[in-house]
Amino acid sequence: MTMLSASTVFAQSVCLPLPRLLTMTPMGGQAGTNVDVTISGDNIEDVELLRFSHPGLTAIPKLDANGLPIPNQFVVTIADDCPVGIHEARVLTRLGISSSRVFNVGSLPESSANTKNTSLESAVTLALNSICNASVTRQAVDHFSFQAEQGQRILVDCAAQGIDSKLKPVVILANEQGQDLVVERRGGVLDFTTPEAGTYVIKVHDLTFNGGPEYFYRLAVTTAAPDAPIVRMASTRDVNMCSWPPVGLTDDQTQPESEPNNEHSAAQKITLPCDLSGSFFPAADVDLFEFEAKKGEVWWVEVASERLGRPTDPSVVVQHVATVDGQEKRTDVVELTDIASPVKVSSTHYAYDGPPYNAGSTDVLGKLEIKADGLHRLQLHDAFGGTRNDPRNVYRLIVRKAEPDFALVAWRLHMELRNGDRNALSKPLSLRGGSTVALEVVAIRRDGFDGPISLHLENLPEGVTATGLTIPPGQSRGIMLVTSREDAPRGLTSANFIGRAEIDGQSVERPCHLASMAWPVPDHWREIPSPRLVADVPVCANGNELAPLTIAAEDKVWEAVEGEKLTIPLNHTPRCEFSGTQMTLKTFGQGFEGNPSFSVEISGKDSKAELDLAKLKVKPGDYTIAFYGSAVAKYRYNPDAVSVAEASVNQAKEKVTRLTEETKTLAESAKTATEPDKADVEARAKAAEAELKAAQAALAEAEKSLKEATAKAQPKDLVDIVATPPIQVRVAPKPAE
Amino acid sequence: MPMFHRIFLSFLAALFAVPLSPSDIQGAEVSFVNDVVPVLTKAGCNQGACHAKAGGGQNGFQLSILGFEAADDYASIVKQGRGRRVSVAAPEQSLILKKAAGVLPHGGGARLGVDSPGYTILKDWITQGAREQCTGELEFVGLEVRPDKAVIETGGHQQLTVLAKYADGSERDVTPFALFESNSAAMAEVTEEGLVTILDLPGKVSVMVRYQGKAAVFAAAVPMGAPVEQIPSPNNFIDELVFANLKQLGIPPSPVCDDSTFLRRATLDIAGRLPTREETVAFLEDGSEDKRDQAIDRLLRSPGYADYFANKWTSLLKNRRDEQSDITSNFAFHAWIRDSLLANVSYDQLVRELLAATGTVVGNPPVAWYKRVKDPKDQLEDVAQLFLGVRLQCAQCHHHPFEKWSQDDYYSLAAFFSQIGRKPTATPNEDLIFHKRGIATAKNVKTGIDLKPRALGDDVGDIPPDEDPRLRLANWMSSPENPFFAKALVNRYWKHFFKQGLIEPEDDIRDTNPPSNPELLAALEKHFVESGYDLKELVRVITQSNAYQLSASPNDYNIADQQNFSRFYPRRMQAEVLLDSINDLTEATTTFANLPAGTRAIALPDNSYNKASEFLKVFGRPEGASVCECERAQSSSLAQSLHLINSNEVKGKLAFGNGRAQRLAKSDAAVEERIRELYLVAFSREPRSEELEAATAYLNEPVLNAEGQPMDPNKATQQNWQDLVWALMNSKEFLFNH
Repeated sequence: MTMLSASTVFAQSVCLPLPRLLTMTPMGGQAGTNVDVTISGDNIEDVELLRFSHPGLTAIPKLDANGLPIPNQFVVTIADDCPVGIHEARVLTRLGISSSRVFNVGSLPESSANTKNTSLESAVTLALNSICNASVTRQAVDHFSFQAEQGQRILVDCAAQGIDSKLKPVVILANEQGQDLVVERRGGVLDFTTPEAGTYVIKVHDLTFNGGPEYFYRLAVTTAAPDAPIVRMASTRDVNMCSWPPVGLTDDQTQPESEPNNEHSAAQKITLPCDLSGSFFPAADVDLFEFEAKKGEVWWVEVASERLGRPTDPSVVVQHVATVDGQEKRTDVVELTDIASPVKVSSTHYAYDGPPYNAGSTDVLGKLEIKADGLHRLQLHDAFGGTRNDPRNVYRLIVRKAEPDFALVAWRLHMELRNGDRNALSKPLSLRGGSTVALEVVAIRRDGFDGPISLHLENLPEGVTATGLTIPPGQSRGIMLVTSREDAPRGLTSANFIGRAEIDGQSVERPCHLASMAWPVPDHWREIPSPRLVADVPVCANGNELAPLTIAAEDKVWEAVEGEKLTIPLNHTPRCEFSGTQMTLKTFGQGFEGNPSFSVEISGKDSKAELDLAKLKVKPGDYTIAFYGSAVAKYRYNPDAVSVAEASVNQAKEKVTRLTEETKTLAESAKTATEPDKADVEARAKAAEAELKAAQAALAEAEKSLKEATAKAQPKDLVDIVATPPIQVRVAPKPAE
Repeated sequence: MPMFHRIFLSFLAALFAVPLSPSDIQGAEVSFVNDVVPVLTKAGCNQGACHAKAGGGQNGFQLSILGFEAADDYASIVKQGRGRRVSVAAPEQSLILKKAAGVLPHGGGARLGVDSPGYTILKDWITQGAREQCTGELEFVGLEVRPDKAVIETGGHQQLTVLAKYADGSERDVTPFALFESNSAAMAEVTEEGLVTILDLPGKVSVMVRYQGKAAVFAAAVPMGAPVEQIPSPNNFIDELVFANLKQLGIPPSPVCDDSTFLRRATLDIAGRLPTREETVAFLEDGSEDKRDQAIDRLLRSPGYADYFANKWTSLLKNRRDEQSDITSNFAFHAWIRDSLLANVSYDQLVRELLAATGTVVGNPPVAWYKRVKDPKDQLEDVAQLFLGVRLQCAQCHHHPFEKWSQDDYYSLAAFFSQIGRKPTATPNEDLIFHKRGIATAKNVKTGIDLKPRALGDDVGDIPPDEDPRLRLANWMSSPENPFFAKALVNRYWKHFFKQGLIEPEDDIRDTNPPSNPELLAALEKHFVESGYDLKELVRVITQSNAYQLSASPNDYNIADQQNFSRFYPRRMQAEVLLDSINDLTEATTTFANLPAGTRAIALPDNSYNKASEFLKVFGRPEGASVCECERAQSSSLAQSLHLINSNEVKGKLAFGNGRAQRLAKSDAAVEERIRELYLVAFSREPRSEELEAATAYLNEPVLNAEGQPMDPNKATQQNWQDLVWALMNSKEFLFNH
């Protein structure tokens, strides 16, 4: 981002407003029940619909006593057969579909802690085997209590970050006097067997005592048999889970690791290929596996542990084992550590220098080439596991012949708009008419697959088109451009995002996961980003508002000859005032990304892009490219609301005027009325006076609304990303001389 | 006669004015390393402030610190300075002699008179050709001081003799060349010639003797010789060893303190707070014989214990808030320590989890230590000082002057930290930590040699590339045979309860700094190891001892005793405890950013609160900048007195709307009962009759306003009660743990 001068940077807000659903209270409910929910968010003042990613969840507005909808309240019906777990909830508003908030479906009875419970005395009573929805109070500790028998195994699970909450929960089990017995601060389950029958207290607070509606949680208190495994409440998936499990992997063939296998002399014997399940337990556990292999064999080793949701860092070393002079001699064949991110991940610099999404992992995925015949040992350990004694730190180890494949994940493109800002990363796919939105797509390539991957976004609303810029051979990054026609009608679909490639002569199709941030990040030094995968890909044409600026080339194939220059005129359609007159454009598209950035007049009618095919060394062929940059619009939020509010004010004024007259007339009539009409006239005069007061109050309210709408509609400097629709370029071979 | 003995005779002659025949020196060969360097050291030439000053030495003449690098010193003297420092042709014209003798202007003054033996040695060495090595050069292998211990009355003297031992089995008396240093200037003085004079204090004192990179120690027991007739019956081995020492020294102990004093003392020391009125009343009424032991166990089970000791450890482990984004890391780290103490995780496990921490801060909070302490050199120095009581900082650049530690020892310890891998996280300046596969080594910057991990001279075996070397270090530390680990901790905790460590400073454990009661230190160490490094048990055994429970009131003999624990040594409450105690007394509160109302100052997670609290600053709450407990200021100052007497903060607490003074002023209870409440909270005891009388009289005094008119009776009553609370709060009995 180069167009913002230092003096203007701090005056600007970032990104055109889009609806964001931020809280939903309660955060879930039991299957087969109805739940009244209250929502809050940004830019959702006119919600039309609350919608979920699963058809087993439906919602209707909650009505007041007069049968009128209560703003931001809904009755959610959870079907009996709605799957237990995480679902995505969104609202449809004037500006389109909102960002997502998790809605949980459980199998236990649920309650909500609606009263202040920040002291032992005000503890909320919980039934065993139930879930309570709550949010912590800032600089305070929530208290709950429950009754238990002696010797009961009690599990206390607190879902928070896994359901989009900002809460880093500290959960304390205390005795009746509130004295701490056991504490869990790392997101684990409190597993406690009661020493005696009686009342127990659960305390919940944030690690740094933050609080408020965004610090919500679901607290499950359940009983369990002494040897029963712990089943956690459902959680959203991390971005790196996009590459796990490999397609077709099932659990029925996996073999357990067999301890003790920590010493070379006790290595577990295996044959390749293999599929093993084990755990990094106890602390500093090393698992050794021994197999025979022949020179020239090529195997692929994959370990999943972090991608199973564990805080681990698996590390693999394969060694050739020979006996020399009666001594065992081990020679390293390969060391495999992390799965690298396909693109540079953001640092914590204030300026934007890459997406804060890491599709890589601390897990292992790498190639093993056998250099010599004979015995080999594969050693697996957790580089985070030196002191940690947690049997839940499980892994899956697979050694296989090459099964080339790929996994995809995408997110909304971000670029430097303002230092510290990462807002664009959490925006929903709601399109203003005439806009093009870019998504960054990355591929995790598996087992040596290096072919091109084409990208497709299908099942789009009317007037919306999508063009994927193919991930080139051997590379990991592509772009998906989603364009809304200027006259696209309002529409919403659940799109199908996929990548296609040819592998071993077969056409293969894989889903492209969408990632988003759970919360907008206006300043990433204050708000640590919280990326996750989302379950579906809703695309919406909002039909109400147009993009402040459209830049597009004529829709045709632009032809050029290898080594020559290609000039593409760009048509600008500005729809509002802008701060500054220039903007800088960069270029998307295989072979063209090295094109130097160039400056254009924002409101110019005759800007052009010049592509020096010689310098870019573009080979003959067909290409899809696009240009993108950012501009600071003087954006007016919902100016139509001003005229609507004005009409309401006028209407209210008219009513007040009319009622004033009527009241006056009736008051005078009452003065002169005689029996037997007097009582009736006086009653009518009183009623008219009351109606006038109500009308005056309504006028005041309407005037307040007008004031608010007018203030909101004042032009504000908002910087946002502008991309062109895709441009087709055909480069012909240079004619033979 | 060997040259050395002849030289020594010449020194004796100088010291005791015995004429020395020139024939004793003539013809002997002078050794640079064994004769010249000790002369330079004794004369102070190679001190850090003089020619051993880093960056070229004073005025461009660089010597190694205390002569540890003789080869470098030789080059510096003979080959550098354009060769003018020595003149073999005209030895007296050598710059080194002219400067040392003050013939030429010398910033350090005249260090060697032209008639001094040192001057003669230097001159002879130059005359003989200023050779780096002489014929039959002896290898210096050991140092001995005679006697190495003695019982000396106050005012007595002892001349020390220092013997250097050489590889060929020979010995030399090097007393004139040795350096002497008393570990307690209040107890003993020692001259440059090794004559020890014992002053007036009874106890144990030692003199460190250094010569040519080696050190030895002379330990003196200074008895008081008073009759020791009444000794409390021993509760445990601590009492046996403390009282045996007192008997040996003839220092009669004070009697065991009363119940009120015990409860207040133990509650302050274990849980960092005053006992509540209810606790005090219940304890005083309790008739059971083991009520003190029960009270100790109750305190050890309470969250106050975990909060108080977490407060101690987080500061030593540098839990500093430098950036706003540190808050999560700091809260997590503090909570990890606090929870571990509450759950009584064994000390060796606690240190192991810290030392070998991996992962993210939130997932594994001890990783936060590696956020604060990033440089491997700082890591080894902090670990050595904090957990082993060994100060290794000097050995980074040169041989430790008081100890056996060399640069090889330093970098061998650094090698344990050489395989720490870091990866950035989404939090600024916060890495996750992992074990980076590979053979651990660290380069000795002086020799350029890559060294494998060795733990302060101990071989820990070969560490394969797949093993985190820090785990091997943790294994070594927690081995029952480890000579440092348990000793350092029990000494640190002893000091917590007794004000004075058995070794002082508590984190400077070395042969040349012997404990005041070695048998006791050894027994504590053994008990701690055998208990499985159980911290609560250590606190229990210390506080259950009658030695801990002695009265702070001195008897006729032990007022001067500062190191034998013949009475309890009172100490001012530390900043956080004092603030909490004032809040408890006044029933006011202090609010802290980001923390729930009612959070006590001892439960603060990091140093950031010092900025906002003038009180904590003035009373010396540490900033977590060093691993030394000395960062906590325990001294008194005028600012502290003024703060207590007249600060807005304290006045606000006294006048707090729902505070104790206001409540008592409005109470219908009898005045005596209300005064009793104050004394029970402030001092954990009932008021004495004269105190009751004085307080009652004061409360009944009329109060005049600024105009000299009688104040409104209600306001006057409130004012009087505030005054009474103020008076109690400003008493030493309140401010001190005694």
